[in-house]
Amino acid sequence: MSKILIGRYIPGDSIIYKMDPRGKLLACIAFIFIIFLANNWITYAIITLFSLFAVFETKLKPKVFWDGIKPLIWLILFTSLLQLLFTTGGHIYWKWLIFTISSFGIINAIYIFIRFTLIILISTVLTVTTMPLEIADAMEWILTPLKYLKVPVDKIALVMSIALRFVPTLFDETVKIMNAQRSRGADFNDGGLIKRAKAIAPLLVPLFISSLQTAVDLATAMESRGYRGSEGRTKFRVLKWSKYDLYCLGYFILLVGLLLIFRAK
Amino acid sequence: MKTKGLIRVELRDLILLGIVVAMKVVLSQFSFGPAMVKVGLGFIGDILLGYLFGPIWGAVGGGVSDLVASALFGQQGGFFIGFTLSAIVGPFIYGLFFYQKPIKVWRIIVATLLVTLIVNVGMNTMWVHILYGLDIKAALIQRAPKEIIVPWLQMIVSYFVLQSVSRVKIKK
Repeated sequence: MSKILIGRYIPGDSIIYKMDPRGKLLACIAFIFIIFLANNWITYAIITLFSLFAVFETKLKPKVFWDGIKPLIWLILFTSLLQLLFTTGGHIYWKWLIFTISSFGIINAIYIFIRFTLIILISTVLTVTTMPLEIADAMEWILTPLKYLKVPVDKIALVMSIALRFVPTLFDETVKIMNAQRSRGADFNDGGLIKRAKAIAPLLVPLFISSLQTAVDLATAMESRGYRGSEGRTKFRVLKWSKYDLYCLGYFILLVGLLLIFRAK
Repeated sequence: MKTKGLIRVELRDLILLGIVVAMKVVLSQFSFGPAMVKVGLGFIGDILLGYLFGPIWGAVGGGVSDLVASALFGQQGGFFIGFTLSAIVGPFIYGLFFYQKPIKVWRIIVATLLVTLIVNVGMNTMWVHILYGLDIKAALIQRAPKEIIVPWLQMIVSYFVLQSVSRVKIKK
């Protein structure tokens, strides 16, 4: 079990860092829908240029972005390869059983490769330039309209902030429990499948019991500090829109405009 | 005074939900099994959510776990509402089968198969198709080997997990 880095935030100082996390999160979500608009090589070139500009804007080392792509590189290549072999149409270069390599297939594989890479790049930009807590606040803000559907957004927000706060704690706890049981002979990486499946229970039960205890303690602590439900409370961490969010909006309007002009009908 | 008691129970449950969500996020960072078929442990979190909180709150927990994991680790392959929906449906199905019900082998088998079919094979393939423009047939072929092997391993783990967690619940 390797040590996992919690939070991928890398401090920096560029326009993207100064944007409101809500603006960044919305931009990131919008980007996925905007990428659907690209359907020929000009539009793919435009969207690649715009994304690379955002990547350069972070002023971070290329290695940061390569680390984002690296775990998925085989998946991306394999996906593109499958697309290459299963798309038919256009000029056929090679055929064997159900596999064909055609001109449509080659173009499609390249498009999918670009799409995959761009989506990963843009979400890496979001996660490295924004602190997890800010992203969570932004998500809470985006969920707010669900209030009109009678969704208990405040409660969901409470659950979210507690989960966010306890991930590192529980992570340490898990490693500690594993080490404690290893020291008395437990083996998590050896033996047959059933043995391994059984080995998970001695890990999970102490974790679960300590979670129950934490929940009781925390509930008592919150109540003794006057928590009586999420309604009628003020906010200490407040998000503020800045002029940079307007730049981003302008940037997106320009991008969508160009894509709409140049996309194949 | 009565309302105060109500808030208290609810608050404790909400906090426990938050912590179980955190547990799911932590567990999904671990995996077991030989190198060829790594089984992520995230599904244990889904089972706990469904078993402890039922379909509705379990589904809420599933959705929140996806958001929290995205905020902390960054979503592999981009933020996309579809994967959040997948994370919601998993605990929902487990909740339908496990919440306040005795643990039976058939429940585990049916629930696991349903989750595999609906969420992993159905929805996630659909999202990959929408997101990357990948051909559905190609996406299915890519997914098939894993989804044929992994559910059986998941069932074995689910059985032991549910057995041991139900013991904790009775003792409380």
